[in-house]
Amino acid sequence: MYLSETSSPRAAPRGLLRTDASGTVDRLGRHQDQDQDQDLRAPGKDPSTTMSAIQSDSRERGVEPSEGRAPAPPPGRRRGATVQGRYIPYILILPAIVALVGVMGYPLLRVILLAFQNVNSYLRLAVPSLDRWIGFQGFTRVLSDAQFWHVVWRTFLFTFEVVTLSVALGLVFALLLNRVSRWAKIFVSTVLMFVWAIPALVTGTVFRWLFAGIGGVIDYICYLLGGSGMKNHDWFANANEGLYVVVAAAVVWGALPFLVLGLNAAMTQVPRELVEAARVDGANPVQSFRHVILPIIRPFLLLCTSLSFIWDFQVFTQIWSLRQNAPEPGYWTVGVYLYEEGFTSSHYSTSSVISVAMILLMLAVLVAYIRQVVKIGGQG
Amino acid sequence: MAGHTPARAMPDRLPAARPRRRGARRPSESRAMTGLWNTVAVVFGIVMAFPIYWMILTTVKSNGDLLAQNPAFWPKRFDFSSYKTIFDDPDFLGNLRNTAIITIGSVLAGLVVGFLAAVAVARFRFRGRNPFIVAILIVQMVPLLSIAIPLYIVLNKAGLYDQFLGVIVAYLVFTIPYVVWTLRSFIVNIPVELDEAAMVDGCTRWGAFFRIILPLSLPGLVTTGVYAWIQAWNEFVLANTLLSSNSKRTSMVWLSFYSSSPTHGADYGSQMAGALLVSLPVIILFVIFQRRVASGLTAGAVKG
Repeated sequence: MYLSETSSPRAAPRGLLRTDASGTVDRLGRHQDQDQDQDLRAPGKDPSTTMSAIQSDSRERGVEPSEGRAPAPPPGRRRGATVQGRYIPYILILPAIVALVGVMGYPLLRVILLAFQNVNSYLRLAVPSLDRWIGFQGFTRVLSDAQFWHVVWRTFLFTFEVVTLSVALGLVFALLLNRVSRWAKIFVSTVLMFVWAIPALVTGTVFRWLFAGIGGVIDYICYLLGGSGMKNHDWFANANEGLYVVVAAAVVWGALPFLVLGLNAAMTQVPRELVEAARVDGANPVQSFRHVILPIIRPFLLLCTSLSFIWDFQVFTQIWSLRQNAPEPGYWTVGVYLYEEGFTSSHYSTSSVISVAMILLMLAVLVAYIRQVVKIGGQG
Repeated sequence: MAGHTPARAMPDRLPAARPRRRGARRPSESRAMTGLWNTVAVVFGIVMAFPIYWMILTTVKSNGDLLAQNPAFWPKRFDFSSYKTIFDDPDFLGNLRNTAIITIGSVLAGLVVGFLAAVAVARFRFRGRNPFIVAILIVQMVPLLSIAIPLYIVLNKAGLYDQFLGVIVAYLVFTIPYVVWTLRSFIVNIPVELDEAAMVDGCTRWGAFFRIILPLSLPGLVTTGVYAWIQAWNEFVLANTLLSSNSKRTSMVWLSFYSSSPTHGADYGSQMAGALLVSLPVIILFVIFQRRVASGLTAGAVKG
């Protein structure tokens, strides 16, 4: 989909090597001629824009493209410099494009096509001649199913809970790490690194044991802390409790290392002088956080909120292992739902409809994030 | 699900949080307050570490301890029979080897393909470059689950279903974007003058890639390689859907089946031993490359 533009090198081969731009390498006149031919064919080519585009890819990271622009050198020089190897970048990205089209582009296309077909049994998958195009019937059936809306609502609720909790806790403990002694910081960071290394499936398995009704340690700790009725409490009997407490705990636990360490790293970018100055000016800690630290870490905060949303919205592995490969319907989030439809019931088209709906829902929420991404892509 | 990667982790060195000099303590940061915050931090660390501690503790508890009325926070005696149960499982070692093969394959493939694309993006300005970057960033947002069915259909048709190669190819979907994006910033930081000098000295363009850029971006390759390794090793959704026979499963799929089987579903001692053993390769990698991985993952995101 997005790759279509890039996948046709013939569209406008205008590869400029930056080394060429400096004019030090210019050895193949043959390519130069070819280049001029291309120039004549390529309309609207402004040497200065091309040049500044090259310059903007400045070696000093952090320099904004607009600042990094150098005055355009004489056109003649550029012409001589844009020589050989305009095809090279296309050769270099070709394997990546082929791979991504193969494992992402085509499957995405296929999922959309499947959503408009009636491939709802293994037989139909095996014998494609039985497939029929059914238009939006699949969508109307899924969208008129009350269970779908329950699942979507549950997913949003769960995602909201987990993203809020993990980002808020991440911020709090990132701030805390800035304040504590060095040894405490090292201790916490080390623990977080280990937590980070634990695979999601293992997290689910371990949390199932922690929260087990018989022999589970969380029950026992609750009992020790005074919850006398908590011994042998079954956390999973009520799906709401299982999902919004146990699954949420497992997901937040797994998400905190990235958030705490990342936000803490972002905070170390805040110049110390700024915080000091705010304090001298009479700001209390809350004010200096809100008006000094927060604006600086805001881009990263947006990034990790978006990433948390992406990860938590499609949560599957933890639920899967917490419920021993057979989550009850009360635990179904969109990811689990489409898996159950697709692989457990072989309703491939129904599952595809859910997939399409899931992607659209995520896109709708992530509009701001995507705009940011496109902007970054534009800056290069 | 840890399937996707932080979009723009960049590998530049994290300005290490400088330890505050003792003398430079600000007046507002009294000793007592620091002590209080330290305590809070330690409690937080203990809470975070507890699940791992409990996992390890469970593996060395005897059956008697495991069935005790009240769980003990330290075993009466150490008992390693849980590990024996795991190693006696006929599929465990084979599946561990499968995971290693799939992981190494997908990491190498991702690094090669990703490195080439990263050179293109970092060193060239070409039509289609920005759409390519946007595509790379957006691909990471698409949920793996939503393409699991078509991937299954496609690989089935290509005869790659239930084959290691199929999974390795499928894993490119998350290794390539990460590798391209991370290596890009490594390569941008290598001075172009070095390429130029090499070419003035008679190196070809491709020679410059492989003699100058490749060796200089080695630290970047290691960082991204480690991260891709972790992703591939921990991946569950695709491995679960694209492999079917017992002998071909990866360790994560093995663990999910093992811990839901009737014989071991309630045997938490061996489940925890299995869980620990399948995470061990990743934990060890983290310990070895700790600093590098942490800064690689977080620093770039900071720069946005």
